[in-house]
Amino acid sequence: MRLFYLVKKELIEIFRQKELLPLLFIAPMIQIIILGYVVTTDIERVPVNIINLSVNKATNRIINRIEKSPLFDVKNIYFTNRDNMDVLKRSAVAAVILFRDPFSNTDVRNKRDNPLKYPEIRILMDGIDSNTSSIAAGYFNGIIKKFILADMEKLGVVLPVENKTVIRFNPELKSINYMGPGIVALLLTILTLFLTSVSIVREKEQQTMDTLLISRLTPVEIYIGKAMPMAIIGLIHMCIGVAVVVLWFKIPVRGNLLYLFIAAVVFLAALLSYSLMISTIAATQQQGLFFAWFSMVTFILLSGLFTPTENVPQALQFLVKINPLVYLVKIIREIFLKGNGIEYFYKDLLALAGIAVVAISLSLMNFKRFISG
Amino acid sequence: MKRLRAVIVKEFAHILRDPASLSIIFLMPLLMMFVFGYSINYDLNSIETGLIDYDGGEAAGELGRSFANNHYFKVRNLRKEFPNESAPEVGERLLKQGALKMVIIIPRDFSKNLKLGRKSDVGIIIDGSDSNVANLVHQYNEMVIFNFVTELKGIDELIKIKTKIYFNPEVKSAFFFIPGLVAILLVMISAILTSLSVSREKESGSIDLIFISPLKSSEIIIGKTIPYVFVAFAVGAMTLLFARFWFGVPIRGNLFALLVLSLIYMVAGLAMGILISTVAPSQQAAMFMALLSTMLPSIMLSGFIFPIDAMPKPLQVISHIVPARYYLKIIRGMAVKGAGLEHFIKEAGALVIFAAVLMTAATIKFSRNRKRAK
Repeated sequence: MRLFYLVKKELIEIFRQKELLPLLFIAPMIQIIILGYVVTTDIERVPVNIINLSVNKATNRIINRIEKSPLFDVKNIYFTNRDNMDVLKRSAVAAVILFRDPFSNTDVRNKRDNPLKYPEIRILMDGIDSNTSSIAAGYFNGIIKKFILADMEKLGVVLPVENKTVIRFNPELKSINYMGPGIVALLLTILTLFLTSVSIVREKEQQTMDTLLISRLTPVEIYIGKAMPMAIIGLIHMCIGVAVVVLWFKIPVRGNLLYLFIAAVVFLAALLSYSLMISTIAATQQQGLFFAWFSMVTFILLSGLFTPTENVPQALQFLVKINPLVYLVKIIREIFLKGNGIEYFYKDLLALAGIAVVAISLSLMNFKRFISG
Repeated sequence: MKRLRAVIVKEFAHILRDPASLSIIFLMPLLMMFVFGYSINYDLNSIETGLIDYDGGEAAGELGRSFANNHYFKVRNLRKEFPNESAPEVGERLLKQGALKMVIIIPRDFSKNLKLGRKSDVGIIIDGSDSNVANLVHQYNEMVIFNFVTELKGIDELIKIKTKIYFNPEVKSAFFFIPGLVAILLVMISAILTSLSVSREKESGSIDLIFISPLKSSEIIIGKTIPYVFVAFAVGAMTLLFARFWFGVPIRGNLFALLVLSLIYMVAGLAMGILISTVAPSQQAAMFMALLSTMLPSIMLSGFIFPIDAMPKPLQVISHIVPARYYLKIIRGMAVKGAGLEHFIKEAGALVIFAAVLMTAATIKFSRNRKRAK
């Protein structure tokens, strides 16, 4: 009962900040929707310029293909050579594709009796965005190769090997199917970390902590009373997130949402005790917030949400191992995309639980020391 | 002028009396760059691949080898590795676990068919959950198989495609991500620095003392911002130096121009923070707003990871109000490509306008608060 009043007090402290409310509940929804549309790591409409110096008929057909492809956005086609450094420097286009006929007469490709005559192609590419450039180059090669294969088949050459590819779990290769569920984990993190990181230090700053301490509440009760409201808000957030992901983006849930709920609770236990620890150690709200911010960015960027965690160097892998968000993101994705049952991710769940236990005991120890000191 | 100086001195005192916060502000960008500079990239080196070879013939072995010899793939022979289990089941399990990203199935009679000039299929199963990775994997596959086929048929290279990569010939993703990180860190730190400055005084009640002082609202706002300009500039210069000397991101353009533009960018961030500070009821709310308005838009809508060209049109329009978008273009262009200032007049102008509009808005909002308090 005493605990109930403390939880109520905490909730009042959050909800009386009228300006904060829309931020708490509407902003995340807008963000998740925007995020859903933005996080297409699908490379599309790569802006290119084309320079055509070739008189070969095949060239026009190739250019036609490129123009029709949604993967490229052809800005300009020129028929004379020109200096391309400027457009590349301004990032007006990501690549310039130059077609010209091979010079040498001895070249096999140029022999008169060869029906498969193709221009020489040079691609001048802006290499800064290595990801986009390698994918775009891949697309381009794909278009050209399909083109040649079609020509060869017309000539009656049978290609001996056909590659039949099946794509599992996300057959349309939509990145929202991968990102959407991950964003649910993001929502669970951002808000709870921030709200909790000041919950104790604010009372220190305003000297209301003493009032709490002389009350009949035990330290553990105070601790739980501080964590619980945030856990409730966090779970509400997660429900909003899941609803948006399922209803707005129509991402199928193939697995059992109960496991998602369990994983979320374990995750919150770890995250909340961590942020309460920040709040106990910090001397001012500012310090608490700075530290929460730093932790949040680290958790998110090293979570595998945006970039694969395998790329984190060995020396820093321990940061990945102790990051609770890593496990949550993995579990959520497995549940949503692969429909995996618990036998596939019980190890991740155990790891998460382990982190939670360590975080809770450290944080509680710290809190008790703070109270007695 | 004297009054302005008083505000500046007071704000400086606030900064200096909390060395813990100040050192967090300086250490954070270094730490973040250090960790993320090494960790964030898309480089895909070893695609975990399972091979199920039902044929066992010469050609099948050759196809398997052409995957294994390609450094993009790390091939495991599932029938050899798990001789007592059914290979498709093993493949299915490992795919679900995420231990394999793709499985190649070479059917029985593959080698025989090829020898007889008949057509044969190769089955490939790709884990599509991460569409980005799946796309790359698919491209690499096609390349390997295409090369296998052309070699088999003895068809010479029919077409010559030469790719020349500018600015980043080794295709290091650091050149892409580090300038992006700089852009995000700078605006985030600037906004966070000032976002607490007014809201803190609101919470502690000392704002009333400022309200009843003879200072003009614009003086208070400017005076509260200037000290942070120095802090921000120091942080910005340090971050750029770190990018240059630790990560070897070349600064090929005019360093002075880049520093000036960085400063303008940070002033825009500081102005955003001070505007937030006048609106937010508490430090907590201020921090949260600063974060929502800088970090997420700067990551999502600036072109940091997700290309703007691939976004839906409405979001492309919205991305114009994200300062990081302009700065990112400037820093990538000026630092890595060595482009001159003349290429980025528009972007620089946009940043100046941001700073001016936000500062004015903060002043107006502040004087309104003040009137209401009276």
